[in-house]
Amino acid sequence: MHDHVSRFRDACYVLAVVRTPAYPAVYVRGTAARRLFPEVSVIRHDVIVLGAGLAGMRAAIEAKRRGVDVAVISKLHPTRSHSGAAEGGINAALGNATEDSSDSHAFDTIKGSDYLGDQDAIEVFAREAPNDIYELEHMGAVFTRAADGKLAQRPFGAAGAPRTVYSADITGHVLIHVLYEQLIKHDVKVYEEFFATQVVVDEGRCAGVIAWDTKSGGLHAIEANHVILATGGVGRMYYGTTNAFACTGDGMSLAWRAGVPLKDMEFLQFHPTTLKSNGVLITEGCRGEGGYLRNKDGDRFMVGDAPNAMELASRDVVSRAEWKEIADGRGVDGCVMLDLTHLGWKKIKSRLPGSRELAIDYAGVDPIETPIPVRPGAHYMMGGVDCDLWGETMVPGLWAAGEVACVSIHGANRLGGNSLMETIVFGRRAGQAAAERVLEQGDTGARIEPGVLADEDRRIAGILNNDQGERPGALREELAKTMYDKAGVFRTEEALAECQATVHDLRERAQTLRLDDHGSVFNTDLTNALELLSLLECADCLVTSALARKESRGAHSRLDHTERDDETWLKHTLNWCDDGEVRLDYRPVTITKHQPLARSY
Amino acid sequence: MTEIKNAHLTTLKGAYDTELMEATLRIRRWDPDTQRARFDTFTVTVPVTASVLDALDAIKDTHDGTLAYRKSCRMAVCGSCGMRIDGGAALACKTPMKKFVDAGHTITVSPMGNLPVIKDLVVDMAPFWEKIRAVKPYLDTKDEEVPDTEWRVAPEHGDMIHKESLCILCGCCVSECNSMESDPDFLGPAALAKAYRFVGDTRDTDTRERLRDLNGAHGIWDCTRCYFCNQRCPKGVDPRDAIAKLGAESFKEGFVRDEGARHAKVFVDSTFKGGYLRETELVPKTIGPVNAVKDIPFALQLARAGKVPNPLSPHKAKDNDEVKRLWKLLEKEAKGAERPRAQHPDAVREG
Repeated sequence: MHDHVSRFRDACYVLAVVRTPAYPAVYVRGTAARRLFPEVSVIRHDVIVLGAGLAGMRAAIEAKRRGVDVAVISKLHPTRSHSGAAEGGINAALGNATEDSSDSHAFDTIKGSDYLGDQDAIEVFAREAPNDIYELEHMGAVFTRAADGKLAQRPFGAAGAPRTVYSADITGHVLIHVLYEQLIKHDVKVYEEFFATQVVVDEGRCAGVIAWDTKSGGLHAIEANHVILATGGVGRMYYGTTNAFACTGDGMSLAWRAGVPLKDMEFLQFHPTTLKSNGVLITEGCRGEGGYLRNKDGDRFMVGDAPNAMELASRDVVSRAEWKEIADGRGVDGCVMLDLTHLGWKKIKSRLPGSRELAIDYAGVDPIETPIPVRPGAHYMMGGVDCDLWGETMVPGLWAAGEVACVSIHGANRLGGNSLMETIVFGRRAGQAAAERVLEQGDTGARIEPGVLADEDRRIAGILNNDQGERPGALREELAKTMYDKAGVFRTEEALAECQATVHDLRERAQTLRLDDHGSVFNTDLTNALELLSLLECADCLVTSALARKESRGAHSRLDHTERDDETWLKHTLNWCDDGEVRLDYRPVTITKHQPLARSY
Repeated sequence: MTEIKNAHLTTLKGAYDTELMEATLRIRRWDPDTQRARFDTFTVTVPVTASVLDALDAIKDTHDGTLAYRKSCRMAVCGSCGMRIDGGAALACKTPMKKFVDAGHTITVSPMGNLPVIKDLVVDMAPFWEKIRAVKPYLDTKDEEVPDTEWRVAPEHGDMIHKESLCILCGCCVSECNSMESDPDFLGPAALAKAYRFVGDTRDTDTRERLRDLNGAHGIWDCTRCYFCNQRCPKGVDPRDAIAKLGAESFKEGFVRDEGARHAKVFVDSTFKGGYLRETELVPKTIGPVNAVKDIPFALQLARAGKVPNPLSPHKAKDNDEVKRLWKLLEKEAKGAERPRAQHPDAVREG
């Protein structure tokens, strides 16, 4: 059997060399060319989902249910995805705790977005959320229950009613496992630990992806007329971040290089309660359950910026208030204190056990007895791949859902609990739309040409074999500190310009990265390098957009332009890839019912 | 340019201030090309708050980029970084480095056990995922009518599977499983905890079939009850407890034929009768009289080694009646309790 496989691969190899004569036969020292050589396009699916977090798995399940051939490609095993780290909950107007409505959910989201969210998208989102929650429950999600057996709902920041469905403080974990269970039930093919390096566009249509098999090495062309990007966020461009090491904006960079603009990239949410040591998130649920934020004098400083909502104001508001306390010297060792001690051990142990464990493990304090030192950390990219209400981008057949996408629901600031819901609503919609398109349209004829594969192979081999220059880790740290220092919670023209210059310099230096590992098996040196390149492209888009937007809106807060300016800036930023450079463009915001109002909490 | 108020706010001073320490790690390397193992020792400078994972990162970023290990969330929820630290499986991200540095101890880091090594600290998880798939790891409500809102589940019934639903599938339990070491086909603690997550779910209606399968070869009764899985689990899932619960549920469903089940039953019966375990009865009642005869040479060997208790001792406890009363109380409670079921919202509305 093994012999047949290797003979087949040899044949493919010979065939491809004939088709691309300039191709170097052996380019990795000491290893067999056969293992590293790309497969000639023998792998084909109707739909490929890139990424296996909540949005990706939800999309794949939906497409599979509709009878098309779908495969998931992910650089991690599905349950390792960062959706699993979401803690607090998922928003839907079920009205289980108090009266609630989809309209109210939509309005809170629009106001929270500082009126930059597209209102047609937000209406779809709020309307479809409840059924999606019920469906998750039917799949087996283990949600926390109220005494009557219904799903319990807790209050969250800037929400008009207790709207957040949850599972203690491990909601994301519970959901990622329930969707993985469904992935198994529906027998969806998963290419685990495959790192996508390119989305291929053939004559303006999506043709599939080229991916590196991390486990055994080798590039593969995996063809599909439809590719759904669901690769998540890009928090790792910041030093203080709640995001996993894997959140490196790969999908954003793939789409950008494939000719799709990235939208509203200057809007990156800082979460108010993250740990200093490693950025780990302490859920907003802590404040939802009644936790206080205090400065070094023990005062609840939120009274200044949000006298009504206090700690449960919108995240951008709370982050700014904290940042000011710390920068003005009213913090404790670079942090403010999240005080849960008055909640009592019973509530902490039953509702917030995960947060307690994290505080003990990574901050060395037990929140039952001692307040937790926290500070704002980069958390969520409101912007992302520009797409329509079904997730389709400007390239037919290329779709996006979840954090990688910008539909746009969150506008300039996301409300806690809305991102998990977005992954499910828009993951399902993208899976449905892509599958319907396959069934209507059949094969579009888009193909990955051997030349494209050979070029990509040469590019990857170039990175893999290089042993000159700086290590990826060193550049990543420089980028992360620059972003945290100069494109953080508060921004100025001067700091952003410096930041941009550093990012450009880093992009230049990252052209030659020193790799120690030139092997093909589980080469994480290579994947680190590829991730750094994605991060740098996304950082360039972020800082270029932020420099241009001369106003303060939601998470984008300019000290030199402190007011929101609807006259000039009530519009989406589009970042195009112009031969590797960022080119800016703008598009109006969709407004249906709610004209912009001043935003206070 | 206008004067900017509060320009100092852009950068948080001292954001990276942290105390540092020198950490030394001895790491088992495995080269997939040469198929050879070796040990490398590294000393790196890391913050005092660093985890073992942070130390590995420091090695990879500044010393040796070829070092391979899995990582992602660094907050003990993704389950990527299971590895052996000083011989026992743990999550590298959940293990602080400082206690070792303070003790002047050089830790040894090696890949998890019971799974084939791919490179350095990376193991092939394929056999692990196969076993998860083997326990039908998804909710099955069979032909029950799916409600238009949520199934109604009492909070206390939801709590029955709380511990099992904490599992992050990291494989630390499997790494240390003694039973799997001798029988690689044993389903193992992670898959069995996952199985109980559905057996104990009041919405699932496939309980009987699930238990029948779990009573088969390489199933629940192959666990040796060493409790290493409970000990090594980084999330408090306590897989061995889940296996015990599966055993109890199996008895309720009448699955008592397996040797393991019979063995458990002899324990209970024997202590009920006399208050003590009658070990002479244990073997014939577990494996049957014929097999017991076959095992006589082995028994003699054990006897010579002094491992067989006196078969003639009275085997009757002084206050045996009290044991019996306790036992009956428990039995009554167990018999009275029906398996709790989730309710259809329509049924709740009607009455």
